[in-house]
Amino acid sequence: MSCPHAIPDLRSTPLLRLRAHPLRIALVGNPNVGKSVIFGRLTGRYVTVSNYPGTTVAVTRGRAQVGAEVCDIVDTPGVNALEGPLSEDEKVTRDLLRSGGAELVVQVADARNLRRALMLTSQLADFKLPMILVLNMIDEARGRGVDIDAEGLAVELGIPVIEAVAPEGRGMGELRDALATAARPRAARARGQSHLHWADDTTQRFRTVGHVTLGRFREWLNRAVREPLTGIPILLAVLYVTYLVVGVLGAQTLVNLLEKGLFGTYLNPWATDLAARIPWAPARDFLVGQYGLVTMGMTYAIAIVLPVVTTFFLVFGFLEDSGYIPRLAIFSDRLFRAMGLNGKAVLPMVLGLGCDTMATMTTRILATPKERLIAILLLALGVPCSAQLATIMGILGGISFLALATLFGVVLTQMVLVGFLAARALPGDRSDFVMELPPLRVPRLRNLLTKTVLRVRWYLGEAVPLFLIGTALLFVLDRVGALAALASAARPIVTGLLGLPPKAAEVFVMGFLRRDYGAAGLFLMARNGSLTHVQAVVALTVMTLFVPCVANFLMIVKERGLRIGLAILAFVTLIAVGTGAVLNGALGALHVSF
Amino acid sequence: MSRSEQPLVQLPPGTRGRVSRVTRDLTGRTERLAALGVTRGATVRVLQTFPGIVFECDQTELAVERTVAGSILVELDV
Repeated sequence: MSCPHAIPDLRSTPLLRLRAHPLRIALVGNPNVGKSVIFGRLTGRYVTVSNYPGTTVAVTRGRAQVGAEVCDIVDTPGVNALEGPLSEDEKVTRDLLRSGGAELVVQVADARNLRRALMLTSQLADFKLPMILVLNMIDEARGRGVDIDAEGLAVELGIPVIEAVAPEGRGMGELRDALATAARPRAARARGQSHLHWADDTTQRFRTVGHVTLGRFREWLNRAVREPLTGIPILLAVLYVTYLVVGVLGAQTLVNLLEKGLFGTYLNPWATDLAARIPWAPARDFLVGQYGLVTMGMTYAIAIVLPVVTTFFLVFGFLEDSGYIPRLAIFSDRLFRAMGLNGKAVLPMVLGLGCDTMATMTTRILATPKERLIAILLLALGVPCSAQLATIMGILGGISFLALATLFGVVLTQMVLVGFLAARALPGDRSDFVMELPPLRVPRLRNLLTKTVLRVRWYLGEAVPLFLIGTALLFVLDRVGALAALASAARPIVTGLLGLPPKAAEVFVMGFLRRDYGAAGLFLMARNGSLTHVQAVVALTVMTLFVPCVANFLMIVKERGLRIGLAILAFVTLIAVGTGAVLNGALGALHVSF
Repeated sequence: MSRSEQPLVQLPPGTRGRVSRVTRDLTGRTERLAALGVTRGATVRVLQTFPGIVFECDQTELAVERTVAGSILVELDV
């Protein structure tokens, strides 16, 4: 769909030509319109694709070959506007455009929402860059009775307009071909109108909307997930299925298979046999001893945490792609408002269950600094990440439902309490709750699998080295006697205040590196009977309330600065130990034994 | 203004109409809503009013809190 009215001077100065550096092309558009899918199609690089606004909160770059030319493609966070009040992720995109980070803009639009897209086109036109407009999801738009005269629109705007269905690759060839004819669009300013009026007029002229309803089942489902009467049972069912897949299949069946079977029966005995040939005892211990790289580090990382992380990412990816998660904001808005946030915060909170570090970055979608700070604090304090959920379910699931409920009850109460106080103690405001609900979709199996594989690979790359470093550290500390010294120094807190066995101090040292690593230690302690049920609940509660991991701490520092990072660390540690002490006292006084 | 102009917050589910205006305040609410397509002339359909308000505006489904819905004035389809 090339544009018949190509602007004359384009032919004399083609954009695609040998140049000193690759042509920089930015993919810009409203949230959740498929920029990342197109990025993947053009560059062959996969970036996480989901079905909710705010999946991409930072700029991603990749190379693409277009004909003989090499281009740098930039994927940007979605923007609803480039002027007026902007959220932090929107500013990322605006700053990129302002600073000359792009020489050509490909605006990606959801074809259903032409009016909103054109408002953005009009604002983009002010950056005076050559542009192309991609009408993505044209199939869904037609399915809803939306019809767009793309050729007429191309003439009106003076830029190429391409119809696409990006996940199927439709329109991608046309997009590549059109890069050479990109031009500055004629929009509101060229006509002396406001962005809004121009977008309204243009939409009216080139779009028709017929009366088509979704299928009856879709219509019903759409309603059922958001109405409380049906929505709450559906939410409980979703949680239960998640528990079955992650807590039972992952944390019990697969962990048993790997830990007792693969590692217990084969790998660890083999490694021990092999290591027995090493003549030097410390080296032997380093590999297969109590704090051995294989017997402890690899066992924790591969046998205990990996199965749960994998099953969790699978369920989580499904929920992400279905468009279900943002709908939880409808139910949780009131609760979050009491905590100085609004329903939108459900996104970073739920994403935190995948990985708190990533979720800390996602707080950029929140509108005010106060909201971002509270969300980061609550993520660090209470939201257990997938790896940690793994060990919690593995240990407490085996004890009793009451034990599990106690931990989550205490952690949730603590989050609400801290949020409530923070909302009053911190300066600043919360913003209005206004949230776009993406369409419900059946997830594409390919995206789901790609995403899960990449996340598991990321876990292996990120967590396993830390597990090994942690194990090596413990080994060294143990050798030089520092572990014993540390344990006795921590005894008043660990044994006195929390009522835990002295060995738990080691686990907390590990917990400072990564909560899940510490929790994996508790898992083994619980299994070999050195923790009572009460001790397990107390220890896990304290561990859950700790700052998740070194990476999360570094991300907080990156987003909010060192001072706030340290303050959050100190505050969270204090709350964790304090809560543990109170819980230990309360359980003792009430004679609860689970 | 027409007699049938009412704030979105008071409309029962199923009501259809057009945005007649969005009350201005100092928080940038109007601008944010405009960026989402909630501007004069946009078609709206109320989908749900409890626990939060959910409505369809043009082709976008939006969930908002009551104060926000209070500042969106809708001219009802007769």
